[in-house]
Amino acid sequence: MAVITVPDGHAHDDGPDQLYVETRELRLQGFLLFLVSDVVLFCSFIFAYLYLRNSGQGWPPAGISRLDVAFAAFNSMVLFGSGCTMHYALENWKHNNFNKYVACMVATIILGVTFLGGQGYEYTTLMLKDHVTWSGSGIFGASFFTLTGMHGFHVAVGVIYLSIILLQSIHGTYTKDKYFGLTAGTLYWHFVDVIWVVLFSIFYLI
Amino acid sequence: MATATVHAGGIADHVHPEPQGFVRKYIFSIDHKIIGIQYLITGFVFLVLAGLLAEVIRVQLMHANGGFVSADTYNEVYSIHGSAMVWLVIIPLATGAFGNFVFPLQIGARDVAFPWLNMVSFWLFPPAGLLLFGSFLLGAPAAGWTEYPPMSLQGAPGTSMWCAAIFLVGVSSTMTGLNFLVTLIKMRAPGMTFTRMPLFCWAQFATAPMSMIATTALAAALAALFMERQFGVPFFDPTKGGSPVLWQHMFWFYSHPAVYIMILPVFGIISEVFPTFARKPNFGYKMIAFSSVSIALLSFMVWAHHMFTSGLAPFLQLPFMILTMLIAIPTGIKIFSWVATLWEGKIHYTTAMLFAIGFIATFTFGGITGVFLSAVPFDLHAHGTYFIVAHLHYVLVGGSLMGLLSGVYYWYPKMTGRLMNDKLGHWTFWLFFIGFNGTFLPMHMLGLLGMPRRVATYDPQFQTWNQIESIFSFVMTFALLLFFANMLWSLRNGKKAGSNPWGARTLEWQLPSPPHYYNFKHIPTVFSTPYDFAEPLPYAGLEEELTDSPGPAPAVAH
Amino acid sequence: MHFDWVLIERTVAAVGSVIVFVVAAVALKNDWKTPGIENQVFKIMLALLAIGGIVAFLAGIDVLGRFAGAA
Repeated sequence: MAVITVPDGHAHDDGPDQLYVETRELRLQGFLLFLVSDVVLFCSFIFAYLYLRNSGQGWPPAGISRLDVAFAAFNSMVLFGSGCTMHYALENWKHNNFNKYVACMVATIILGVTFLGGQGYEYTTLMLKDHVTWSGSGIFGASFFTLTGMHGFHVAVGVIYLSIILLQSIHGTYTKDKYFGLTAGTLYWHFVDVIWVVLFSIFYLI
Repeated sequence: MATATVHAGGIADHVHPEPQGFVRKYIFSIDHKIIGIQYLITGFVFLVLAGLLAEVIRVQLMHANGGFVSADTYNEVYSIHGSAMVWLVIIPLATGAFGNFVFPLQIGARDVAFPWLNMVSFWLFPPAGLLLFGSFLLGAPAAGWTEYPPMSLQGAPGTSMWCAAIFLVGVSSTMTGLNFLVTLIKMRAPGMTFTRMPLFCWAQFATAPMSMIATTALAAALAALFMERQFGVPFFDPTKGGSPVLWQHMFWFYSHPAVYIMILPVFGIISEVFPTFARKPNFGYKMIAFSSVSIALLSFMVWAHHMFTSGLAPFLQLPFMILTMLIAIPTGIKIFSWVATLWEGKIHYTTAMLFAIGFIATFTFGGITGVFLSAVPFDLHAHGTYFIVAHLHYVLVGGSLMGLLSGVYYWYPKMTGRLMNDKLGHWTFWLFFIGFNGTFLPMHMLGLLGMPRRVATYDPQFQTWNQIESIFSFVMTFALLLFFANMLWSLRNGKKAGSNPWGARTLEWQLPSPPHYYNFKHIPTVFSTPYDFAEPLPYAGLEEELTDSPGPAPAVAH
Repeated sequence: MHFDWVLIERTVAAVGSVIVFVVAAVALKNDWKTPGIENQVFKIMLALLAIGGIVAFLAGIDVLGRFAGAA
């Protein structure tokens, strides 16, 4: 009787069981690929903006007032700051500092909401004071509001996602070894941050 | 007596409980095999509908001043015909149907990485199709499947439905690509390194990132067109600062990889059919595998060869021309490898093999006309003529569709447990092959003589050949009807197939037909590529698969 | 009271971006050796965040920014 055994190479003592480890790997790959496709989505619209802007009409187009760089830089600080607090939230979770983790998560969420508020302020100023609208200001309004709107939508989704993660972690869904939702949330939040670095540069700085 | 004990644990042994009830088993199923069959049936339904539209085209074109339909209706007909064939037929059949059913079995997995996501992917597909065909009710898009602005900006409301429909099916395609990629990277059986994978899996592995990345770019283009049509947000309207050429860039950046999404899985099918029915390993396994990947990579760099007449600067046209010629090389390598696979093999002329050999002939022909078109000076004359129509149908029908039909004949026994009627299959093949060539071969000449595409009426000098083409198209349609009749008839009356009617060597053929919902009782171990007919099967652990022993116990819910 | 909002915003941007840069750089240095694909992605994102800090700093001190000043 021949017995063929294949060692599975995973220890079965303490630590997360192998099913979790392998499920987590799948989820992580899937989430990273999802982020890649989201990057492609933004890149497509960024290409459209740069292509249109480069079509020789002069920038900003005649009659459109300039963007408020100072305010945007301030709002960028809010968002980048939330990226820092998010990083610390994950660090604190990994080191079992639950209270500090909660504080950092709350700070991240508040900063995220503040960023959205800042975007709302910027939008209303542009639309009401400077009369720059999504459809009525040529490709300037089209590209600005579409791209920053997409980004703002992603931030809003992120705020909701992080709030759910916070509630789940208070409820005890995550343990010291099993916290993939938190990792995914951190990845997503950093992604949103990094997209803003690009958008801030191409709309306000060039 | 040999017993195999595989301590795999984890995902490899994780079994969902058996689905209960008709709805969970056959409607909202998370089983990749059922989902694959759902894609197959739905894709074929849309093939019939889009094929009917094709016949409307051919009837209209039988007379130079045909009055079968009005010119406006004719424009709608070819626009939906093209859109449906690309997005509702070929892509879902190649990726969703065969991808889903076959490759998880071939890599020794129990399902794909995200079965629930797979189900969602499928269920986006029929509504998208309904939206697309429903656009006829509000005035279908009439600017071709490519919907260039400004025409598409001015089109009837159906164009917005078209945007939404393709967006939906694009989301489905993106999710499927993501699912397949994770499955292929993470869920191969123990011992199955990438270079021991069947070539069909390599084909899906090359296609999945294209599905994921390119389709997202299309979603952006469609969203922009929709926003401009519905909310007046200018992207493509030149009077508001937009650019119609921007649409072309965004659209073709997706649509060129799309044509490779439509052909690479079919290359994979051929790579399975040929060794089985020539009783020889694939010649140049590694070359075929790596050329799939290089085609996928290069496909992102050639899109502007669809735009040579759009006013691009020559310094842009030249690199695209060269890269397009380059992409013919890996494809050519595959064709040569397949022909070498046949060389001195023991050929079994089953229907699947006939369609596969026919594929080599017609796809190569279409590929060669593609190389003609890659040359800018030639393309400037041939663009927008029937030469293009001929080229695209040779690669998409003579290539993709014939390869898919080969795949149906090949894997139908695995899906249903019965063989399709081979005699009827031979008739189907020859009628289809003759009908197809009679329809599309003369179009090369007509195009070069100056007949433009997308016209409801044309110069009378082309009428005789158009009539000939239409008659041959009826022959081709008849052949397809025979094919569907064969599929339906064989469900009840086909000869029982058993687990391995073809004597093939990939893993799916070592299981019962159809396989159990859990696929494998024990995940096998793999020791080499499957194609070496001189060696015993390179697997361990499959002894119990064809016995009556009970399946694995479902894992505790995690 | 009339605040020079532009100056306040720019100051916050300039100061905050230094903090962001330092946080990102320190995090990057501490986590440099962690294995696993998610950690590689985190490192890339932290590096881009650090670049964001630099970019925001330059905007804050009015070196970058085609539209310097409020509308």
